[in-house]
Amino acid sequence: MNAPFTNVLKNFSVYAVLISGLVSLSCNGIFQYNPNQVIFRDNEKNLTVKNIERIRSVPPEDTVRFILMGDTQRWYDEAELFVKSANSQKDISFVLHAGDISDFGLSQEFKWVNEIMSGLKYPYLTVIGNHDIVANGSASYRKMYGALNYSFEHGNNKFIFINTNSREYAFDGTIPDLNWLRAELRNNPENKNAIVIAHVPPFDGDFDRDLEVPYSQMLADDPNVKFSLYGHQHSFRNEEYYKDGVQYILSTAMGKRGYIVMTTWKGGYKAEQIEY
Amino acid sequence: MMKKNLLTATLLLFFTTAFAQDDQPGLKKWYAPDHVKLQFAGNIGFLSAGPGYISRNKTLETDLLFGFLPQKYGGDALVTITAKTTYSPWRIPLQNTLNIVPFSIGFYLSYTFGPQFDTKWPSYYPKGYYWWATSFRPGAYIGGKAGRDIQFNHKKRKAELYYELGTYDLLLISYVQNPKYLKPWKIVNLAFGLKFEL
Repeated sequence: MNAPFTNVLKNFSVYAVLISGLVSLSCNGIFQYNPNQVIFRDNEKNLTVKNIERIRSVPPEDTVRFILMGDTQRWYDEAELFVKSANSQKDISFVLHAGDISDFGLSQEFKWVNEIMSGLKYPYLTVIGNHDIVANGSASYRKMYGALNYSFEHGNNKFIFINTNSREYAFDGTIPDLNWLRAELRNNPENKNAIVIAHVPPFDGDFDRDLEVPYSQMLADDPNVKFSLYGHQHSFRNEEYYKDGVQYILSTAMGKRGYIVMTTWKGGYKAEQIEY
Repeated sequence: MMKKNLLTATLLLFFTTAFAQDDQPGLKKWYAPDHVKLQFAGNIGFLSAGPGYISRNKTLETDLLFGFLPQKYGGDALVTITAKTTYSPWRIPLQNTLNIVPFSIGFYLSYTFGPQFDTKWPSYYPKGYYWWATSFRPGAYIGGKAGRDIQFNHKKRKAELYYELGTYDLLLISYVQNPKYLKPWKIVNLAFGLKFEL
């Protein structure tokens, strides 16, 4: 080995040490390896389970008030204003994000939205939207939040979150997973209010046409289902769409500066549209 | 295992090209690259490496970089191929072997491989449903370099260390629309690289 080559090697080892030191800084985001990387800090992981724990740490009252909002996608400034407005509401237990957290399915976007939502005085839960599935989006969603379908009980209510973004799966008949939904609705021995939350409502073109009737029927056939919550259409909606006893309530997008305050109790509910 | 091999291959590509000996010094084939680069970060891989060319007046470099992000660091193993062009208008000699390039500006287009990335969206999407491609990513950066002449294989060669501050289209659009929340540092990332003249 000649001297210059040893020098080159020596320089390289210096660079290697330098670079590995910088890698440890990279969790702060100064180094990015690919827009589609799925890298999160520990406090950005498994948020669904963590936030359900937070919600459950407060004993529920007979009446539960929560916020339904959604479609933060590329509306960060408006989402910050939402947090401000939401924090001024009274007696809120938690916030439900109806999906399209991100616009491009990038982990960076998920991190930004979580940072903004962390400004809420309340824990928040999410359901996955079609934009959150784009590229490596669903991998990011899984890492940051958790399962795409999940449920939890709080007071007199059973909240059921389900992935209804059929178009992202080429309408292959598997999304929404109706077998899972049926099992969740059946497993409700105390007949709590069953509240199904999803991104795409069944009457939307992005919902599997072959599953629209079985899905809406399943909700209508369950006496515990009085209303169901969605986002996606970027406008408020509150109607008994199929005239079958189930009210379909949609919150608007952050870009339209609106959300819904929901109040539920045994046998009743109220939905208030808020603009900020 | 396969993934580890790819990372090794990226490094190997860099070193074999960098240390390959010319059979006939002075008689370069027209397609023979002028330099090789090895880059860390910059949204084109954890490490990326490949050959490049420089204009006759030494201000414009064009590189082809093969990048790899291992699962361990990236949450997903991603292979990226990138074409980038850097314009460096000024070169300031410091001592006899040192020089500094205070300012560079450039842009790149990367392609990331994977079934989850689309160039043309599948037919089950209405036209224009999503307006961007997820496989191709254009980006831009500014930066600078420090260079040094070294003796290698009995020839004088230039080795340069560069840095780049970059961003890409999707973050830039987000930034323009959210001036309050998205401060510039939120959309900018840092990359480092080495360049070896051949």
